[in-house]
Amino acid sequence: MRFRQTVVAITAACFLALGLQTTTASAGVIGTQDYLSAEARAGHLADINAAISRADVLAQLVSLGVDPANAVTRAAALSDAELAQVAQEMNNLPAGGDGFLAVIGIVFLVLMILELTGVTDIFKKF
Amino acid sequence: MLPISSRSSSRLVVAALSALVGATALSGCTNRLPALPEDPRRELTGVPFFPQTIHQCGPAALATVLGATGVTTTPEQLSPLVYIPGRRGSLQVEMLAAARSKGRLAFVLEPRFADLQAELAAGNPLLVLQDLGALGIRRWHFAVVVGFDPDQDVLILRSGTERRRLERREQFLHTWKAGEYWAAVLTRPDQPPATATGSSFIRALTATERYLATESISGGNAVALARWPADPLVLLANGNQAYAAGQLATAISRYRSLLAIEPTHLAGRNNLANALLDAGCPRQALAQAEQSASLLPADSPLAAAVNDTLAKARAADANASPSTCSAE
Repeated sequence: MRFRQTVVAITAACFLALGLQTTTASAGVIGTQDYLSAEARAGHLADINAAISRADVLAQLVSLGVDPANAVTRAAALSDAELAQVAQEMNNLPAGGDGFLAVIGIVFLVLMILELTGVTDIFKKF
Repeated sequence: MLPISSRSSSRLVVAALSALVGATALSGCTNRLPALPEDPRRELTGVPFFPQTIHQCGPAALATVLGATGVTTTPEQLSPLVYIPGRRGSLQVEMLAAARSKGRLAFVLEPRFADLQAELAAGNPLLVLQDLGALGIRRWHFAVVVGFDPDQDVLILRSGTERRRLERREQFLHTWKAGEYWAAVLTRPDQPPATATGSSFIRALTATERYLATESISGGNAVALARWPADPLVLLANGNQAYAAGQLATAISRYRSLLAIEPTHLAGRNNLANALLDAGCPRQALAQAEQSASLLPADSPLAAAVNDTLAKARAADANASPSTCSAE
């Protein structure tokens, strides 16, 4: 776990550095990408926030069991707006995964309660 | 009072519970659905199918929609890009990001059933987020809508382990509502979805740019210009592309079309000034650069570029030799 946290910290630092570097405007012309990101944000503070969100998302993905190397690619693939959303809501956003086990879990729980309260005795044999 | 043995009463309880749970888990199957033979007139029969393994409906649904756009991939290959073990599922934004990384444009639709129908009619299957839970327990699920039969009012989906799942519209809308009617469509860079606007298309293209070959980007820009010739963002993107390719006359023409529609477009005017400078027209360039500098709001992230252009235009104008300008 300590190793993972170190990896995350180092990659996060790299992202911070990268995030700040990419904002240098190329001589005179405003590219479509620059135009769109300028529209969505104002100034360097937003760049720093985006870099922090990226490091945050990266760390959260790793702590949720994503392979650190994959987590780096995945955090890099998100836009600034997506990063901000995921950084804040990682544990609340819908995660499509079918949840079939949850249903089985509920069945088990209900049977367990019935067993404990003495309504049924199906687990006696085990 | 009837004598009921404790054994039979416990059986009754278990039977009732099983029935309840069965109905919950298979809530989709409780309505009797019409037999609906596969028919290319109302469903996209060519969309591939990847049956999901446990919790992996995200990668399976993503492989399905990507496959429909010609990307050869499998849920196993996509799982490292979208699956989050600690959440036992995949997030919507990561599904879209993974699609972009495979060179496909991703569009989230307006939450309207009509838009879903429009995309189906255009041949685009839809990635949807459903809540298949019950009794207040959320059970998020990704599926792919491949068809709709208006006569029977039934949708056809690739879902979970079912290649051709039928759902009544009413039932589908109920499961679709919890995720705010979220639906996404993926397309090749030169095939805008039916419901796209010029602006949404250029935004999607730009967000995917780093994964695309130059020809794919220019192909997308060309298609956008043909379909939305008066959209400011489409004109800016096409002007920028022409400028980057050294096609100054085309770039100047696109920027001028843009400014005719939106005279206060800062980036358009700034870039026109740059194109005019490169075309050997410092006087005209300076006039444009002064205008864009006067449009500049305080603290604009574009200030560096605009001021840089103005400085270059002033220097060029001061050193101007007899004009070689051919742009009027």
